[in-house]
Amino acid sequence: MYMGAMCRIKPAEVEEEEEALGVVWHYREVGDHGEAGIRQTLSKGVSPEVFDRLQVKGYLRIEAGKVGFSDEGERLARDVTRRHRLAERLLVDMLDLGADSIDENACRWEHILSPEATTAICTLLGHPRHCPHGTAIPPGECCTKWTQQAESVITSLDKLAPGSSGKVAYLALAEKSVMQKLLSLGLTPGSTVSLQQKAPSIVVQAGETVIALEAELARHISVRKNPD
Amino acid sequence: MTSSGHCGHAEPESAEIAAGRIALVGHPNVGKSVVFNRLTGSYVTVSNYPGTTVDVTRGIGRLQGRSWQVIDTPGVRSLTPQSEDELASRDLLLRERPDVVIQVADAKNLKQTLMLTAALADLGLPMVLALNMSDEAESRGYHCDVRRLSGILGIPVVQTVATAGAGLEELKACLSHAARANRVEYCAEIESALRRLKPAPASGESDRFVGLALLSGDEGVCGCLPHADPEKTGGALVRAQELRRDFVRPPEFLVHAGREAWAMEVVGEVQTRSRAGRPGWLQTLDKWSMRGLPGYALAAGTLLVMYYFVGVLAAGHGVDFMENTLFGEYLNPTAVRWVRAAVPSPFLQDMLVGEYGIVTMALTYALAIVFPIVTAFFLFFGCLEDSGYLPRLSAMLDKAFRLVGLNGKAVIPMVLGLGCDTMATLSTRILDSRKERLLATMLLTLGIPCSAQLGVIMGILAKHGLREWAVWLAAVGGTTLAAGWAASKLLPGARSPFIMEIPPLRIPEPGNILLKIKIRLVWYLKEAVPLFMLGTLALFLFDRIGVLKRVEVLLAPVTTTLLGLPSETAWCFILGFLRRDYGAAGLFTLAEKGALDSRQIVVSLVAITLFMPCLAQFLVMVKERGARAACFISAFVFATAFAVGAALNQFLAFTNLL
Repeated sequence: MYMGAMCRIKPAEVEEEEEALGVVWHYREVGDHGEAGIRQTLSKGVSPEVFDRLQVKGYLRIEAGKVGFSDEGERLARDVTRRHRLAERLLVDMLDLGADSIDENACRWEHILSPEATTAICTLLGHPRHCPHGTAIPPGECCTKWTQQAESVITSLDKLAPGSSGKVAYLALAEKSVMQKLLSLGLTPGSTVSLQQKAPSIVVQAGETVIALEAELARHISVRKNPD
Repeated sequence: MTSSGHCGHAEPESAEIAAGRIALVGHPNVGKSVVFNRLTGSYVTVSNYPGTTVDVTRGIGRLQGRSWQVIDTPGVRSLTPQSEDELASRDLLLRERPDVVIQVADAKNLKQTLMLTAALADLGLPMVLALNMSDEAESRGYHCDVRRLSGILGIPVVQTVATAGAGLEELKACLSHAARANRVEYCAEIESALRRLKPAPASGESDRFVGLALLSGDEGVCGCLPHADPEKTGGALVRAQELRRDFVRPPEFLVHAGREAWAMEVVGEVQTRSRAGRPGWLQTLDKWSMRGLPGYALAAGTLLVMYYFVGVLAAGHGVDFMENTLFGEYLNPTAVRWVRAAVPSPFLQDMLVGEYGIVTMALTYALAIVFPIVTAFFLFFGCLEDSGYLPRLSAMLDKAFRLVGLNGKAVIPMVLGLGCDTMATLSTRILDSRKERLLATMLLTLGIPCSAQLGVIMGILAKHGLREWAVWLAAVGGTTLAAGWAASKLLPGARSPFIMEIPPLRIPEPGNILLKIKIRLVWYLKEAVPLFMLGTLALFLFDRIGVLKRVEVLLAPVTTTLLGLPSETAWCFILGFLRRDYGAAGLFTLAEKGALDSRQIVVSLVAITLFMPCLAQFLVMVKERGARAACFISAFVFATAFAVGAALNQFLAFTNLL
């Protein structure tokens, strides 16, 4: 007997619409509002009639051959783009996946992340502003709040105040051997580190191990600040 | 635990005659070498910084009525090697499969200890765990339930304080109970990949370890399996690569996470912590020793102490007493009288007590000038090594070392070079990349005078003003920096990032310091004295057959014209080939005689400091970096030494600074 909760799945056409809104958002970012170009791109990925459906539903408006969003359309497009690019960051920064698996996963995740999960990921990553490809991640409410407080729960190790401590959230280092060395010294996700000093070298303590490291490395170690 | 089904190359059991082998394995700076010394009664260097042992050392110990070969290994953080010294340890374990592994551990870092235990368990070798430095752990308030830990791991666990000899008898008694440790169960992904990887290369009990290494992309393990079938190994490699692709998160992370979760659970079960602390002043010093201003002040203070202790006290007063009073007034005149009376041939008389006499020159140089200096230096240095200050200096100087393409880690071989460049060349193994090892070797040869040479140089300069000091320091330092900077740009490869474990500051143990000094002095006497005698004998013969004068004339364009030095200095440089300090000692006596003026002293000292590696260092360079690199570095250093000397001479003459 099945004991779990029933999972709700978005209908395929909703996913298609989200996908298409993402494409339009991208075109607007690069300053291209031409209907023909957008239609052509859409016909390669999703079914061509999606574009018309978006118009019927009132998400898109066309004025003098230029494609624009309605308020509702803009909100949906922004959200899907935000989810996609946050997913990319998560896959690159934390899971250290290669370029081919990033696209594949991010394209699926953009449709399934709930608003709560999106906010949690954004917070975990320290409210990043750009995706790994360098384009802007549309900010969410959590980002605005965060900027106002000017303080993030997650920060890089080198931004911790001397004498304070935090829990290692993740290490985002390109080189595997460096990563393994840090892990073997006890700088593992979840472990508590305290920052002893920042200059001339950064010195941290993890458990009973004291480690000196250069600032460049510390920038790639993200920690969740402990409340003082 | 798996049963011992298929041992491809197991040693014959219970070898009463050709003893079994015990390997000491563990994290860096946990005291493996102290345990080694205790078990074998021999001595290998022990210090308080990671990376003192860079090579495998073997000794014989009689334990439990049997004689064992005991093997000391360089420290490892994991069994996935990241540097040459770590590689040596992993290779040894796989290739030689010692009968017993003693994991020596830092008792206060139980979690990391257990993560290595888990890796050793996968290796499937009978083992014992020694929780060393348990006094330090206790003083920080850690208590470990050893019996419970032993039960969980399935191996004997002993608490030790090796420096004091505590727990060593218990450790010896445990050896016969050594067992294969219980293995950690990893997540389903890893376990199923391991099953699919089989049949793994014939590695017997280490199958699991080899499988994990292959899954983690560490293909180097295959080279360490002497009995593996190359075809099977190749097949396993290909399979491992395929399996790796199916993982969403890299297998090495899953393995690491599995070990970590397990270790944390075990720590929670066996360890309790109460509040305790170390002496307050040591903690304060610990805190300030690496910070900006106080840190630099401490470094400068350390240098100043060295200058007064080695330069003024030993090289000044000590040498003055030994050379002028002891040798000059008593020993040498007595020797001259005896030789004149006992030896009929004037030729032999001169050979023993003449201008280039074995007693009056070689022994006087070796014992009256250099010996007091190196004794003081070794004493100072031993304290520095054992205090744990060197890694702190690394943290202080990391940024400066980046200018020459290295990172702070290279401070250790460089400072060790001030003790002995030959040993320091060996210790460049702790550096992470080939480029850094090459750069460090070159800089050691060029700009770092060894203790004996530095002491003699200090002795000469201490008799002169601050200005001579400053010019010497600026010329040697500037050349070293410039050469390092240029070489770091020319050599391909990148600097590796700076990560350094900082051991706690400790008060050096007088026993260990004295033992260290004794070992080093005996080594000095054995190596240096015969070389000094040989060199002097050659010099004497050259003088007799008139070659010396001709060489002086031949070299005059370099010494006299380029460097502006008296032609006698030629033989100092020739002796410099044999030993760095020998050449400097020659300059010392010339300076004492008043044969050199201020400018000549500084120019000759700069040239001899930058000059060639000594014979022993050259041989180590060939061994470590290859003949081509060694010859290239030597040729470069040779040319640079004279070029800089000549330029300095011109500069000083032109500016009238000296």
